[in-house]
Amino acid sequence: MAAACGRLVPRGAGIALPGRCFSLSGYRVSSGGKPPKFQPPPKPVIMDRKTRKEESRFLSPEFIPPRGRTDPLKYYIERKDMIQRRKVFNIPEFYVGSVLAVTTANPYASDKSNRFVGICIQRGGKGLGATFVLRNVIEDQGVEMCYELYSPRVQAIEVLKLEKRLDENLMYLRDALPEYSTFDVNMKPVPRQDHEEIPVNKVQVRMKPKPWSKRWERPKYNIKGIKFELPEHKMQAAQKWSQPWLEFDMLREYDTSKIEEKIRKELSEELGK
Amino acid sequence: RGQLGFVVRHINSSTWWHEHLSEENVEFLKKITAEEYKAQTASKLCPLKDEPWPLNKWTPDSIRVGVVAVKLGMMPIWTKSGEKHAVTLLKVQDCHVLRYVSKEESGGKTAKLLVGGKNVSPFSKPESAHEIFKEAGVPRKQKVTTFNVTDDAIIKPGTPLYAAHFRPGQFVDVTAKTIGKGFQGVMKRWGFKGQPASHGQTKTHRRPGAISTNKAAKVYRGKKMPGKMGNIYRTSFGLKVWRINTKHDIIYVNGSVPGHTNCLVKVRDSKLPTYKDCNKNPPFPTFFADGDEELPEDLFDEDIFQFTDPSVTFA
Repeated sequence: MAAACGRLVPRGAGIALPGRCFSLSGYRVSSGGKPPKFQPPPKPVIMDRKTRKEESRFLSPEFIPPRGRTDPLKYYIERKDMIQRRKVFNIPEFYVGSVLAVTTANPYASDKSNRFVGICIQRGGKGLGATFVLRNVIEDQGVEMCYELYSPRVQAIEVLKLEKRLDENLMYLRDALPEYSTFDVNMKPVPRQDHEEIPVNKVQVRMKPKPWSKRWERPKYNIKGIKFELPEHKMQAAQKWSQPWLEFDMLREYDTSKIEEKIRKELSEELGK
Repeated sequence: RGQLGFVVRHINSSTWWHEHLSEENVEFLKKITAEEYKAQTASKLCPLKDEPWPLNKWTPDSIRVGVVAVKLGMMPIWTKSGEKHAVTLLKVQDCHVLRYVSKEESGGKTAKLLVGGKNVSPFSKPESAHEIFKEAGVPRKQKVTTFNVTDDAIIKPGTPLYAAHFRPGQFVDVTAKTIGKGFQGVMKRWGFKGQPASHGQTKTHRRPGAISTNKAAKVYRGKKMPGKMGNIYRTSFGLKVWRINTKHDIIYVNGSVPGHTNCLVKVRDSKLPTYKDCNKNPPFPTFFADGDEELPEDLFDEDIFQFTDPSVTFA
């Protein structure tokens, strides 16, 4: 069969011809005098799990310095302290929308420690003063606790459920129905393999009736995680406050790719990840 | 009105230093000054070997020099009991003693020492301004301040000053020019209450109101009125030093300090009577880097929580 159709079959590997399922790459039988030039088969690219993980490594947002005129030496000194703290105390990777449990030291509690479970709704601050806010609804009362990542009173941070949401800031959960902010205090950590991608929870949250603490339908908040049940004309009226020129404003651009690379290199050397 | 004097007409066109120089000459000058600066700083690194002035012992009555530093920014620190405090980072950058003025020369009560701060290019100032720096053998500095000093604490001009001049646990006063706010009204400048926003007020919401009484028939001198606010020297007294980094010459000072980031500040031992006992036995007259003392990279106060320790627990 090969001899008969050698001239007509193209060289590409794995091309399914009717009735034939074997590849004839580089295997042409020539009719002329000269032997054909040997073309080695294309090298397969092995996508290792490890290489993929290195490309999308997580850099905690408080390491990226804000745009300003301060001396980079100040950020370097602060980062040294942050790295020192991370060597002694494990601060896990987490995003806004993950459920965390934080134990802090409290001199006035009977066990001398406090445990709070909640969903992270905001990560703020840069450097050593970085904070995150956890929200939970306990006995029908919404409670938000703001913790400092590098405070020495924090004794343990466990990630019970690692996931992302559609927005960077979940402050709208205050005006959402309480079922979206309730999490079991004795929740077991959800098992997760290391190489899996971080799941994005695309839940569309239902809100309590208006008035809300902020007008979340306005384009300045750019919220994708709410199921707006407002009438069409109200949604269109909210678009009046949109500022479409903002995304083209070049003075607001802050390219952090090079800074991030340097910081990642520094972190990986120090923490040995 | 009155006599009309002749108005002096100034020639307002000033050239910058490299306007009439070729590019090669500019590059050459820059290279030369950079090398000269390096040589000058290198020659001043061993003050104890260059015939230093007599070193005396510290007494409770002696006042020693201060230091000129750059305000880098602010940072939180925690104590061993878990309380948070905000500290300002002050970096001592190229600080040298420039000149000694004796008590009789200056006409004051104590001798004075001129100290200079951060290095800066010499080209934008006339040669007359470089005299002090040339005498001391030191590059041109951005800020030059005077410190009133007792006679047993005088230092030879040209000695470098480091952050280790201060120790954690002592108290300092920091002087700097405050952030300039420009011409400001009376509410922001002096904290007046202004007038209500509604209920019939005609065009009067942020005005000072009455400026004097009827009987006085004049406005007193020093009356608080609108004017230029900020950009004046102010001092914060009694700030605790929490930590010293000897490698980068950084002082961690409690609380806030006047001035914007990257401004030059004058740091001195506190002269408040409450802290007289806390500033005992400092390095006198200053800390010499080529001396016998080998300091670790970081000096901490006893109360500070160091990040090498595990998390705080209350027993």
